[in-house]
Amino acid sequence: MPHLEISDLITVTDPLSGARLPVRRGDVVRRLDEAGDPRAARIVAALPAGPDDVLDPLAVDRLMIGVHTELQRLSEELRVGERLVDVLDPLFEAIREIAGRRGRFRLVDIGSGLGYLVRWLASTGALGPNVELIGVDLDAALVAEADRLARAEGLDCRFVHGNAFDLPEVATVYVSTGVLHHFRGPALAEFFEAQADSQALAFCHFDIAATRLAPVGAWMFHRARMRHPLGRHDGVASARRAHSDETLLRAATVPGIRPLLYEPRGLSNPFCTTLRPVLGIRPYLEDPLRQALGRASRRLVGAEQLTRGGPPGHDAAAWSATAGTGAAR
Amino acid sequence: MNPAWALAALGLVDAAFSGFRAYAGRDARIRKHRAVVHAALRGLSVGAVLLLAPAFTAGAVLLLAEDPDRAYGALADGGVGFLVPLGAYALAVLFSLAAYLALPFRASTLAVVVGLGPLTLARPLVVAAACAGALVAGGGWTSLLVGAVAGAAVLCVEPYVHRRWYAPAY
Repeated sequence: MPHLEISDLITVTDPLSGARLPVRRGDVVRRLDEAGDPRAARIVAALPAGPDDVLDPLAVDRLMIGVHTELQRLSEELRVGERLVDVLDPLFEAIREIAGRRGRFRLVDIGSGLGYLVRWLASTGALGPNVELIGVDLDAALVAEADRLARAEGLDCRFVHGNAFDLPEVATVYVSTGVLHHFRGPALAEFFEAQADSQALAFCHFDIAATRLAPVGAWMFHRARMRHPLGRHDGVASARRAHSDETLLRAATVPGIRPLLYEPRGLSNPFCTTLRPVLGIRPYLEDPLRQALGRASRRLVGAEQLTRGGPPGHDAAAWSATAGTGAAR
Repeated sequence: MNPAWALAALGLVDAAFSGFRAYAGRDARIRKHRAVVHAALRGLSVGAVLLLAPAFTAGAVLLLAEDPDRAYGALADGGVGFLVPLGAYALAVLFSLAAYLALPFRASTLAVVVGLGPLTLARPLVVAAACAGALVAGGGWTSLLVGAVAGAAVLCVEPYVHRRWYAPAY
């Protein structure tokens, strides 16, 4: 049975126009029932809908903002911002090394939601003054709230409603947190291909580390920290949908990109690594990035390291066909 | 030994943390130290009022007792038994919190994952263990009554503060 997230089903946006599409409550309930998730079906059945059974968009927006606000609390508690900067800071150092110190760079957060990462980076100035910070999301309500929060605190960043790959400005680095597990099947590789085809120099996407501990930990933390049943449900579903290291590296193996994993499962303590990124960098950035990382570069591995008796539990056979291809391109 | 002051101090500290938890997750701003302090003070004030309930209960037990000295002794013994699990829990929280605040992000994640998260969920169980401790220590049903009222008061602070000041609009 597929693990479905309620938030994916109750907010549907046309990816081309960005327009909000009506969602029938009964359709969502039926889908969740068919997926063998009666609890999720009950949560949706309790949401307000109009006489035509279309979910009340304002109520859904309020709910999504509330749930994302609670979700931000988990990010704050797990110091997700510092975890990102641990990789992004050396990455931008490597980019500056290649592109010149006086360049102007642009970080684009895909699926930024309430924009916690972008606002936190703007607030701390962790990446330096010459990095423009932009958050992009298909959910207009979340983008509006992110923008309101940024303006309320006078933060130097901005938020755009729409498709991150249709921005008029060129991104230097694409990032995301907790987005990858929403892409299934070929869509995951297409997501990475879109970035390889862009002018971006790198991408760095953080998602839940697919460990055996992840669903249990997600249950515990969402139970302890989140109040709305939707947030609790989707938190556990996210952990169950998390992609394995092998799946991520395979999907990120696209022409023009050197795919790398930072803190893969076998190299990290699952109690300390709740989120870890898959990176894609232009091949000429690898050496400067490893230099900038210093000793931490041992945490950065490619497909070939996973194949050569790498982290325990990896699927070496699955890698026999793809090992090293990213480096060769 | 009269554990009343130690129990009151633990209850008030817990109430301040309860106020913080009631607020946390309802404000998406980045800089919110003042709001955090405000929420903790709200928890503290609500806790101070609610913790009068076990104090009054203990007072009523002593007033109604045929032998107040014996009843006082039983309450003191029960209080010590009540304090032991709570003290152990408070030490575990203190240790986790210190690790979380002092260590780098990877180790602080460990402090959250194995400490602060599970310990939050365990609060009702710890209160139950404290009530059992009151009985085991020879406090009798009067200590159990006072302990149950105190436990209920402590556990009510967070939901009350949340509903009173931070409940979401959805």
